Amino acid sequence: MEKLSDELAAGLRQAAREPRNMGELADADAVGTVGNASCGEMMRMWVKFKEENGRKVIDRATFQSFGCETAIAVASLATELIRGKTPTEALALKSQDLSGEIGPLPPMKIHCAELVEGALHAALDPGSSSASTEQPSLHSEGNLLDNFMSPPKPAGGLRIVLLDSPSEEKPAGTS
Amino acid sequence: MTETSTIGPQSVMREVLEAYPGAQRALFRRYHIGGCSSCGFQSEETLAHLCQRNNDLDVEEVLEHIRDSHDQDSTVLISPLELAQLLKHESPPKLLDVRSREEWETVRIEGATLMSNPTLQEILSQWPRDAVFVIYDHAGRHALDAAAYFLGHGFTKVRCLDGGIDAWSLQVDPKIRRYRLG
Repeated sequence: MEKLSDELAAGLRQAAREPRNMGELADADAVGTVGNASCGEMMRMWVKFKEENGRKVIDRATFQSFGCETAIAVASLATELIRGKTPTEALALKSQDLSGEIGPLPPMKIHCAELVEGALHAALDPGSSSASTEQPSLHSEGNLLDNFMSPPKPAGGLRIVLLDSPSEEKPAGTS
Repeated sequence: MTETSTIGPQSVMREVLEAYPGAQRALFRRYHIGGCSSCGFQSEETLAHLCQRNNDLDVEEVLEHIRDSHDQDSTVLISPLELAQLLKHESPPKLLDVRSREEWETVRIEGATLMSNPTLQEILSQWPRDAVFVIYDHAGRHALDAAAYFLGHGFTKVRCLDGGIDAWSLQVDPKIRRYRLG
C-alpha cells in the first residue's frame, strides 16, 4: 500500500502545524522564488548571512509557501537545517536531505522537497539551472487545487447574471 | 460517455474521469494523487501507469476505490437545512467560500471567508485537523473538490454544502439573490 506511513504523516503534520521561519525576512540578503504561482504552488525563500570565524554563513532563512502541507513542512525543517552553513554547504544539500528530522520522503512527495531545493538555489545561486524562477509542472492536468483555486473563466470574462431581476445583468467586477 | 464497465488498468485518466466524475477526489483522499500540479496526472495517462509511478499501487485496489467514489462524495455533503441548524450552535462551523471574488462580492453567506492563497496556507499550517468547516461554491461541484483536497491533507470534519449557495438561497435564505454565470 502506498499511503504515507503513520510516522511520516505525523511528522509532516506536526512540522506543518507549527512551521518555523515562516514569513518574509525584512532585511534579507537574498531572495529566491520557484514554482507556478498561477496555480498556487509556489515557494519563496529569504536568506540572511553573517560572518562567523572568517566565513560567510547563513544566519537565518525564512520562507513563504502557497503549496501543500508537505512543502510547508519541508521548508520549515530545511530553513533550520541550513542555519550556520556556508552557501556552498547549503547548496550541496539535495532534496532528500532537506526533510531533516522526519527523514526521506516517499517518491510521491519528493516534488515538495524539490520545490524547497529550487527556492534555496534561487536564493543562493540565482544563475544556476536548478534555480529557474518558474518551474514547469510535470503533470499539469487534473488537479484538485486548480479546480477550486483557479477554475477556468469563460472567454470574455466572468459575467454574473442575477436571476430574480432579468433586466439587471451585472458584469463581473463592477460591484 | 465512457461506460463504467469498460474501465480497467489500460483506460486513460480522461476515460476514468468520464465514467467516474468523483474519481479524482477519491484518488487524492486516499492516495494523495491529483491534489496539486506536481502530483496531478495527464488526461491520456493510463491508470496502470499512474499507479506504477506512485509507488507501484495495486491497480485493482485503486479501481475498487474509484468505483466507490460516488458513495464517498455523498458522505461529505451537508444539506442547506442541516447547515442552517449548525450555524445556530454556540460553536458553529467555519464557512469557506471557494467561488470567484466577483461572485463573492455579489452575494455571500454571512460569516463566510473567501478562499485565497494566504487562507489556504493558514488552513494547512495552522488549523487543527479536527476543525469543523463547511465549504461552499455556486452549485456544489468545486466545493467537493476542495473538500477532497482537505480530507486528503488529514482534515477529518470537512463538509460540503450540497447544491452550493444556490441551494442555500432556495431553501434557507431567499434574500440571497440567485444568479447564473454567463
